[in-house]
Amino acid sequence: MKLQVLLIAVLLIMAAFMAGCTQQTPNQQSNTSASQVLKVGVIASLTGPASNVGNNMWQSAQVAAEKINADGGVKLKDGSKAQIVLIVGDDESTQQGGQKAATKLITDEKVDILVGGYSSAVTSAYEQTIAEYKVPYIVTGASSPIITHRTDIDTSYVFHHVPTTDAYGEYVIKFIDQVIKPAIAEKSGSASDRPIRLALLYQDTAFGKGVQTAVSDTIKKNNLNIDLVAQQSFKMGESDFRTPLTTIKGSNPDVVFLAAFPNEGAPIISQARRDIGLNTIFLNVINNDNAQFYKDISQYGDGAIIESMFSPYIAPAGEVGDAQNAFKQAYYNKFKTYPDMMGASTYEGIFIAAKAVENSGTTDKASVRQALVDLKMPQVINVMKNQTISFSPDFRESNFDLWMEQLSYNATLGETRPLIVWPDNQKSTDFTLPSWYTPGSA
Amino acid sequence: MDDIGIFLQIIFWGLYAGCIYILLGTGLNLIFGVMKILNFAHGEFLMIGAYITATVFLFTGINPYIVILLSMLALMCIGAVVERLCFRPILGTGKLNEIFLSIGLIYIFQNGAAMIWGDSWQSIKSPYDGITIPVGSLSVPLDCIIIITLTAVILVALYIFLKKTRIGREMRATSQNRKGAMLIGIDVERIDVISFSLGCALAAAAGTLWVVSGQVFNPYMGSIPVVKAFAIIILGGLGSIPGAIIGGLLMGIAENGTAFFLGGVWKDAVSFIILIIVLVVRPTGLFGEKKG
Repeated sequence: MKLQVLLIAVLLIMAAFMAGCTQQTPNQQSNTSASQVLKVGVIASLTGPASNVGNNMWQSAQVAAEKINADGGVKLKDGSKAQIVLIVGDDESTQQGGQKAATKLITDEKVDILVGGYSSAVTSAYEQTIAEYKVPYIVTGASSPIITHRTDIDTSYVFHHVPTTDAYGEYVIKFIDQVIKPAIAEKSGSASDRPIRLALLYQDTAFGKGVQTAVSDTIKKNNLNIDLVAQQSFKMGESDFRTPLTTIKGSNPDVVFLAAFPNEGAPIISQARRDIGLNTIFLNVINNDNAQFYKDISQYGDGAIIESMFSPYIAPAGEVGDAQNAFKQAYYNKFKTYPDMMGASTYEGIFIAAKAVENSGTTDKASVRQALVDLKMPQVINVMKNQTISFSPDFRESNFDLWMEQLSYNATLGETRPLIVWPDNQKSTDFTLPSWYTPGSA
Repeated sequence: MDDIGIFLQIIFWGLYAGCIYILLGTGLNLIFGVMKILNFAHGEFLMIGAYITATVFLFTGINPYIVILLSMLALMCIGAVVERLCFRPILGTGKLNEIFLSIGLIYIFQNGAAMIWGDSWQSIKSPYDGITIPVGSLSVPLDCIIIITLTAVILVALYIFLKKTRIGREMRATSQNRKGAMLIGIDVERIDVISFSLGCALAAAAGTLWVVSGQVFNPYMGSIPVVKAFAIIILGGLGSIPGAIIGGLLMGIAENGTAFFLGGVWKDAVSFIILIIVLVVRPTGLFGEKKG
């Protein structure tokens, strides 16, 4: 009996140990030969359901810090240079975990600035702590505008450097109106004033509802000839979508817009094409542009559209494309896989943090915050409006330029690969309706 | 597709989803019926079953509907070890110990699976991916038909085992009256380990059907299904196998029907609304027997 109790105790200790392993903080990830250090806290979901994206963010931050340190570090007012030391806080993909991570980074580790934050619900949960301690925070994952729009707490130290759901909806709807609509009219020979039938399938969270609002606002604001014929929601983490897809099929849509995470978007499209026979164009929001999505969606992704600002498999022409490729290569050399768009914004977030400290010349938090407010720096790896990273004066949001990719199946790879089809100044090919595409009908 | 066609299709999705719930709930009920323990880590057995099937399929290419046997066998062994080392020592020491033990097991299995397989979402493609067959006016995936058939075969086999074999009869006797079973010479500890292993094997079958149906899986996938499995066995009646079957089917159809009529956000809630109604009207569940 004693042996059995001992075994149980050992098993429980093992459980605690294993949980600890995944939460372990790799404190010093670079050389610290310089006399000063800039402590950057990275809040990411290293464990739990969002760990795929979270690890990508954390690893991208490491690649950025290594590059900045290798280039000499961050120049301060007294002429000295500080090396960046990253400290990660695992939000465990939960609100409680996020609260714990933020508090620990601020009070125990005494970080100078924070970067990261995935899931709007999780990030919102610890914004009160950010407000209380007044630590500059560059959010590079959570996409709901509420992160900096909320008025119940002071968000003046929070800066949003990732496209918001407002942008998600706006770009996709404009693409439907300007590109898909004429293509459908041409294929089906329908009248040019026939409204396009749009169905929306969205995650029932701040993220999904944000996209839903952006879709209807964009249609209304621009008086577009688009009918929202079905709006179906699902719970975050759902894996069986056959029922909402059956309902959507019943509404005979021309296109289906998905506000979903990659682990939801891929099965939605597979189940729709394979099990429901919904042969339409699926449009995916920006966060789906990651390697796992391409792997999971396989041949069913052929013809689908992904909104993007950073792809594991393509880059826009020009300097920014070269910078993206260099980042992807550095990331691949270190981790033997490719970064995703949240990784790209986090990578850039570290550069923004470094620049803000350099501009203020000190790590004083109020000064760094002011430097972020005044920031005007050249884009690093993401295409920004006016090729400049700056934060809007009202809600401290940076302004990204997004593009649309169409996927085509590569039988040799057994996966789809993207090509940019919009806007005209970035596209490498034209959008085409696949041969199997069936337009909707009233 | 007309409205009736859509409705029939939704019912079909409910039947298929119900199959996974039935297997998970039946396994849980088998364990509870015999041992009277609350194992909240039962969803982790579904998760491990899913990973074993997916791994063997990806490495060997053997049809996952055959690998299900290997997965069930592996989970029987894992179940026997867990019962022997973890649950047997605390049997009868109070529900709180069982709850905390199973929470500990959840962490062990989740983190262990994350260490072995990584914690990204994964999916596999069934060998019958993309094949649909006509059923009346519907066109349904062949995988769903196989899933429904396989569930029926497993349940019939379980019924025969419980009714016709000596061990099955001993399990039923232990379930009805543990002390009485001991008095007539049944080795209840042996029955415990067999019941626990069988319950885990059924969870492995549920996990296999989950992955072949084209749903994604990761180490944390078991937490929601286990809550639903508990709702199913309470709904059907604690310890009642027919109750778990009817409860699972009801759950699958109600969830999908609700998602159709009210939206996906109500999908999980409806199970518990039905549960509350049944408990108010019939506190022992649909097939539970009143004590005393």
